[in-house]
Amino acid sequence: MTATRDPTIPPPRRLKPWSAVEKGLARVGITGRMLVLAAPVLWLLVFFLVPLAVVFGISLANKQFGRPPYTPLLTSEEGTVQLTLHLNNYIRLFTDNLYVAAYLSSIRIAALATIITLIVGYPMAYAIARAPDRWRNILLMLVILPFFTSFLLRVYALTGFMRGNGVINQFLGLFGIEPIVMMQTDFAVYVGIVYTYLPFMILPLYTTLVKLDVSLFEASADLGARPVHTFLFVTLPLSIPGIIAGSMLVFIPAIGEFVIPSLLGGPETLMIGRVLWDEFFTNTNWPRAAAVAVAMLLVVVVPIMLLQRAQGAVVEK
Amino acid sequence: MAKKPQLAIDTRPWRDTANNKPFVRIRSVSKKFGDVIAVNDVSLDIYKSELFCLLGGSGSGKSTLLRMLAGFENPTSGTIEIDGQDMTDVPPYNRPVNMMFQSYALFPHMSVEQNIAYGLKRDGLPRAEINARVAELLALVKLEDYGKRKPHQLSGGQRQRVALARALAKRPKLLLLDEPLGALDKKLREETQFELVKIQESLGVTFIVVTHDQEEAMTLATRIGVMNQGEIVMVGEPTDIYEFPNSRFVAGFIGSVNMVEGIVTEDEPDHVRIRSAELGSDIYVGHGVDCAPEQILWWAIRPEKMVLSRDKPEGLNGANVTTGVVEEIAYLGDISVYQVALESGKRIRVSQTNSVRGNPDAITWEEQVYVSWDEDAGSVLTS
Repeated sequence: MTATRDPTIPPPRRLKPWSAVEKGLARVGITGRMLVLAAPVLWLLVFFLVPLAVVFGISLANKQFGRPPYTPLLTSEEGTVQLTLHLNNYIRLFTDNLYVAAYLSSIRIAALATIITLIVGYPMAYAIARAPDRWRNILLMLVILPFFTSFLLRVYALTGFMRGNGVINQFLGLFGIEPIVMMQTDFAVYVGIVYTYLPFMILPLYTTLVKLDVSLFEASADLGARPVHTFLFVTLPLSIPGIIAGSMLVFIPAIGEFVIPSLLGGPETLMIGRVLWDEFFTNTNWPRAAAVAVAMLLVVVVPIMLLQRAQGAVVEK
Repeated sequence: MAKKPQLAIDTRPWRDTANNKPFVRIRSVSKKFGDVIAVNDVSLDIYKSELFCLLGGSGSGKSTLLRMLAGFENPTSGTIEIDGQDMTDVPPYNRPVNMMFQSYALFPHMSVEQNIAYGLKRDGLPRAEINARVAELLALVKLEDYGKRKPHQLSGGQRQRVALARALAKRPKLLLLDEPLGALDKKLREETQFELVKIQESLGVTFIVVTHDQEEAMTLATRIGVMNQGEIVMVGEPTDIYEFPNSRFVAGFIGSVNMVEGIVTEDEPDHVRIRSAELGSDIYVGHGVDCAPEQILWWAIRPEKMVLSRDKPEGLNGANVTTGVVEEIAYLGDISVYQVALESGKRIRVSQTNSVRGNPDAITWEEQVYVSWDEDAGSVLTS
């Protein structure tokens, strides 16, 4: 049965203060939906796509002295417009060993740091997910707590721990142990990356682990699996989406990391972020720096696509 | 219909406790969660090849007791023995026990075959043997064509059968089933009930089933343990539980029942007479009861144990007849349930079989009727 309106009663008038605006916009073909969508699209356009295009453009220019420090792409001479594209920056990326080595080194450092973060973060995420309800939020809060301080400040604070007369060495000194050189080494870079990105590993792992039905673990134990086997055959396979998501969230920013290697790393810590910085500020070679940046973007796109697939898999479940 | 085969006495070992050793022996087991007593001093013997049902409402402690048998919870006090071995502190993976979970707990990342094979692989059985056993179990639960599917590609009933197959894979001595039919719809549940009993009988495995559904318990069980507030209030065969409840709780929990309060006026070895103002008549009980004159007690009778009539029946020694007015009739097809308001204002339910087709002379609303019953139709309850 459908409700029918008594035709003798006029329909209630609804007050629509925006109806005039709405009608006006509709006349030029703009709906409210378009306006809502326009905000993020505009944001991405102005602050992401346009700068990206500018960077890409610069990467195709040549270095020159002056302001700006690169050759213009478009030149007009006697009414004809000429487009000049230089690919030599990209060619140099492959021919100059420095860049290839920096990319490989960045990937290696980021990958190893990701694995360490995973090994450190997994037990923490697991413990939080299995903690009693009243503890869980407090523990999660503790994981997020470092974000209340600036990232830069936290990395500086690490130097206080690791430098020659830092907290760790002073503590070791109490037992008569010689100071250990930690600063300006790859070790310090790993410590910095693991420490900084740990929450990004823990949170996606936690969300995956907390959703797992406890009865699955019980069923595994019931069927004769020792705790180690339950972990290997049930917990671990079911947390793969979280492992992938967490690893990507660490790996991707770690590749391009600049602050950590420059504050904690030594001269031989080769990372693409530092190379880029040096190109840009020390050598003032903007086109080369731009090419390095574009190439780095491409290196990172593959893991991003992996991340999205992993997230898609989580959503499906 | 063929004559029901009589069960040999040796299939009911609980009737002969002197000569039969219990298979599962729960001795004064208690479980406390903080201040909450989930299971309170439960002692229970379960025999080999039994299908024992733990029946109780939510929070009665039945699931906690089952989880202690599986090893997921440790008793706060007391011991659990399975097949003569103390299991109290044995972890779940070392117990000769398997459990079928209420949620089925099938591993979502494994196929049906892998789920069933999981326990066998953990035992390190040779591959050929595992494959043979998996095929055998798939045949048992009639899922031969579904071995390669993932759990999420199965219907609820199919998942339930995979869970059963997985729990049976290791040929456990004891199978624990937590609300095994709870997630199925009514029709599927009825079919599966009988299938479950058939499997249990053919394999001879001891089953302990936890359920809140009394009908399910009655259909499945060889014996039922009724639980309330962490205690076992009665253990018995389904007929004992239904026909001879030992307390008001059991009488009220299983099936529908009319319960009245009365006072003992005659207490003889061969009969008891109870006067009940609520019922508006005396109750003559044809057997002795452990009670004292003037004692207040309760009398419970099932709706189908009473008879409705328009004419006043003779009664029994001037008792066992009362009168009232029909208030409501629930026609259920095979039977009709009449709600009769007695003169005291007490309402009782009487069910009558509809043996005459479309009976035009059936008792109807607002009629004055007499309700009568046999001398041993009801149960006298002192607690």
